[in-house]
Amino acid sequence: MTQSFSRRHLLAAGAALAMAGAAGMGAAQSWPTGPVHIVVGFPAGSSPDTLARLVAEPLAAKLGQPVVVENKPGAGGVIGVQQMLAAKDGHTFGATINGPLTTAPRLVKDIGYDVAKDITGIALTATSPMVLAVAADNAANDLQGFIDAAKADPGGMTYGSVGQGSGAHLAMELFLDTAGIEMLHVPFTSYAEVTTSIMGGEIDAGFMAPSAAMGHVQAGKMKMLGITSSRPFPQVPDVPVIAGQAGMPADYRAELWNAFIAPASTDPAVVARLNTEIAAILADPAVQQKMLTMGWKAEGGTAADLAARITADTAVWGKVLDRIEAKK
Amino acid sequence: MFDGLMQGLATALHPSVLIYSLFGVFLGTFVGVLPGIGAMATISLLLPLTYYISPEAALVMLAGVYYGSQYGGAVASILLRLPGTPQSAVTSLDGYPMARDGRAGLALFTSMISSFTGSMLGILVLVVLAGWLADLATKFGAADYAAMMILGLVAAATVGSDSPAKSLAMVVLGLLLGCIGTDVNTGTQRLTFGWAELMDGINLVALAMGLFGVSEVIANIRKADRHGPPGKVKFRQMLPTGAQMRQIIPPALRGTAVGSFFGALPGTGSTISSFLSYALERRIARQPERFGHGAIEGVAAPEAANNSASITAFVPTLTLGIPGDPIMALMLGALIIHGIQPGPMMLEARPEMFWGLVVSFGIGNLFLLILNLPLIGIWVSMLRIPFRWLYPAILIFVCLGVYSVRGSTFDLVMVAGIGAVGYLLALARFNPALLLLGFVLGPLIEVNLRRAMLIARGDPMVFLERPIAAVFIIAAAGLLAMSLWQAIGRRQSRP
Amino acid sequence: MQRDYYDLLGGGALAALGLGVAAYSGAHYDFGTLRQMGPGFFPVGLGLLLAGLGLIVAVPAWRRQTEARPFDLPEAAAALGAILVFALTMNRLGLILGTALAVLIATLPAARPGALWRLVLAGVVTVLVWLVFKVALAMTIPLWPWSA
Repeated sequence: MTQSFSRRHLLAAGAALAMAGAAGMGAAQSWPTGPVHIVVGFPAGSSPDTLARLVAEPLAAKLGQPVVVENKPGAGGVIGVQQMLAAKDGHTFGATINGPLTTAPRLVKDIGYDVAKDITGIALTATSPMVLAVAADNAANDLQGFIDAAKADPGGMTYGSVGQGSGAHLAMELFLDTAGIEMLHVPFTSYAEVTTSIMGGEIDAGFMAPSAAMGHVQAGKMKMLGITSSRPFPQVPDVPVIAGQAGMPADYRAELWNAFIAPASTDPAVVARLNTEIAAILADPAVQQKMLTMGWKAEGGTAADLAARITADTAVWGKVLDRIEAKK
Repeated sequence: MFDGLMQGLATALHPSVLIYSLFGVFLGTFVGVLPGIGAMATISLLLPLTYYISPEAALVMLAGVYYGSQYGGAVASILLRLPGTPQSAVTSLDGYPMARDGRAGLALFTSMISSFTGSMLGILVLVVLAGWLADLATKFGAADYAAMMILGLVAAATVGSDSPAKSLAMVVLGLLLGCIGTDVNTGTQRLTFGWAELMDGINLVALAMGLFGVSEVIANIRKADRHGPPGKVKFRQMLPTGAQMRQIIPPALRGTAVGSFFGALPGTGSTISSFLSYALERRIARQPERFGHGAIEGVAAPEAANNSASITAFVPTLTLGIPGDPIMALMLGALIIHGIQPGPMMLEARPEMFWGLVVSFGIGNLFLLILNLPLIGIWVSMLRIPFRWLYPAILIFVCLGVYSVRGSTFDLVMVAGIGAVGYLLALARFNPALLLLGFVLGPLIEVNLRRAMLIARGDPMVFLERPIAAVFIIAAAGLLAMSLWQAIGRRQSRP
Repeated sequence: MQRDYYDLLGGGALAALGLGVAAYSGAHYDFGTLRQMGPGFFPVGLGLLLAGLGLIVAVPAWRRQTEARPFDLPEAAAALGAILVFALTMNRLGLILGTALAVLIATLPAARPGALWRLVLAGVVTVLVWLVFKVALAMTIPLWPWSA
């Protein structure tokens, strides 16, 4: 592990030197010379996989080479990033969720990569907010009522998440901290388990992707009290944003996202080319509509936007992780 | 409901849907027979294809692969003792000894007819009780799940075994292996020794293939060449006599009942039900010592149970959006790609989809029976190929099957290591099926037990206060007491 | 007949493993409380349980006789070696050479002498593997060393 780690650094440094010397712009014209591989750190059929495939298909047409999506699931997406970095052929890229780029370096020991040094962002694919969901028969009907109930019974209410350090867990901890309340964390492994447990009355609440809650809300078994995006989300337009409500600050925001990434040693011209092509695909209304039915808002933007996002989120969630560790 | 069924019939009998169903079950049987490659890998490979066909056809095809692979998986575990899943590991307990006795044809026939019975009655249960089963799944809390799985372990480990201590030791070893990986509650890396490949635990297929397939290959290389191939079997000998039929049907019906109930509970249904139904048969048999040496009930009951469970497993998947296992999760993914959100509204929003799927299960299983009965002869004749021609191919197929799960060569190294351990365990006559059961249920028991205690604020009485949990805990305690009583009785009666 | 070394060594190994896991987990992972069980709760508990069960298996075996069973060392070495070689070569030498090499290693301990049938078998299995996994199932594994 350590050996390949240091070798990777050497190679990256070597590649950077070579590029600086030979002004690598010319290389991008002939690129790609073979099939392009996109490593996804999640199993086939999962939402990161589906989002990557929705882009990979039109991308193949634009690049004139097959784009092969490879699933290397494991460790919350970390394995996928490691596998992408292990291939040094200039044709292997990655599609990942926010976790491996922002919180995983703190949560996973010996992660084997340094986000700032080893990884370059290509483009932000899509974002999804989370909704605060409770059972339909919960006494609280809005965010204020929920916060009041939690204040009346410190630590007595419970919430579910999809695991320690997951988006749902961190979003709730940020929420609790900002609102100045306390609840007991009960970790689960999937949103489906969390919703079942909320409906069965075992736990009180949970943050989750809107699509995980919508069906149960329509069936009259759950209700959504607020959403973590800064504006109402098109998939659930009636759910009020949490920011600015019930004493919450106006800049409260917690979003999950997916992005395309490349090894830092990649020719900048290739990264720029991929960014242009992917942003064009994400601007296609048909692609946007497909992503929206899955609960994701197509994004796009420049590679620099993505880099800024990674830095900002690493800082926000880093603070939340500090507080969780301090509580232990 | 009658209208629904009619609508479903119209959907399922659409020629394109029929063709995809046929393709699905055929492919499922094929990959099921290949060791290691299972429904999971095949459905992942097929998933991109489903973007181009209608959602009904896509789901019918994937479902066909799912239950088709169970028919095929039974063939591999009976003939070669190569189970790809814990469920078919149970089938190999008696199916493989039957095949070694020259009763391979009968064992295959039993497994197929029981699977068919289980599936068809499972469909009936699904149609009549879908609403009730969906409610059942929401009523189960963490404590209830933990209690149910503890009952499953106790039943499997204590029901009539030569040495209860050896059986329990295997279950506990399996539970311990299940601890390897990321701890859900705290995110701690447990017993991974810095290997990222172990963060999600040992790969189940690698474990099953190493414990059964590889260790069996090692044990047979020398033996098989010494004994020579089994003699030719005539077609008549494959068909059961009337008396044998009477031995098959009651266990198959009991297996179906067990499977239909547990299948509807997400997460564990299929595995628990095959072990429980096997344990049940052994418990009520007049000569329990026949089990493990080729008892026909030991094939009929678990096969009926796991097939009916795989049908009723669609209830929580489709009505609650809770996938029962990773394969169901993949199918949910396929639906979501097509813009269909499975959940409580699905039955109302897309009745043709729900009922079409139900009807297609029936048609698919009929296809499977018609397809597989004539194949029995071909499978059995495969046993006449000298083993030295067969085993190198088996080893390579095992490798590629394991690799197909998540494209990791680390897992192949694990297969070799587990194979060595499996061979030693087999030499010392430890039961690897129980290790596998412990491994599958261990993480689920731990997570549910810890969750139950967290929610109950540390009060263990929750297991007796919740009626469902109490029933399971009392049953488990009763079973344990009964086995101890019998063990003491045996010791005293010994001269 | 000999002493029942199988249960003796098997039970002993399990007991040692159980103790080892319990000790390691106890030293490294938080045990927690009944309300908030830590990551060490299960490994420590199960490790001790396994140690106990291992002893129950091992101790009575000391006074028991059993028949000797053959230990197939060359067969085990060949089968496990074939898997390891395949694991190491499949992505470097490709599916074709990796398969052929692994088959040749696996056939080493087979009773029948001669090189011809081994070569023929390696060829047949390689073609079969290519047909099933490359042509039919389209798995992403390089075929040759240069296609990696």
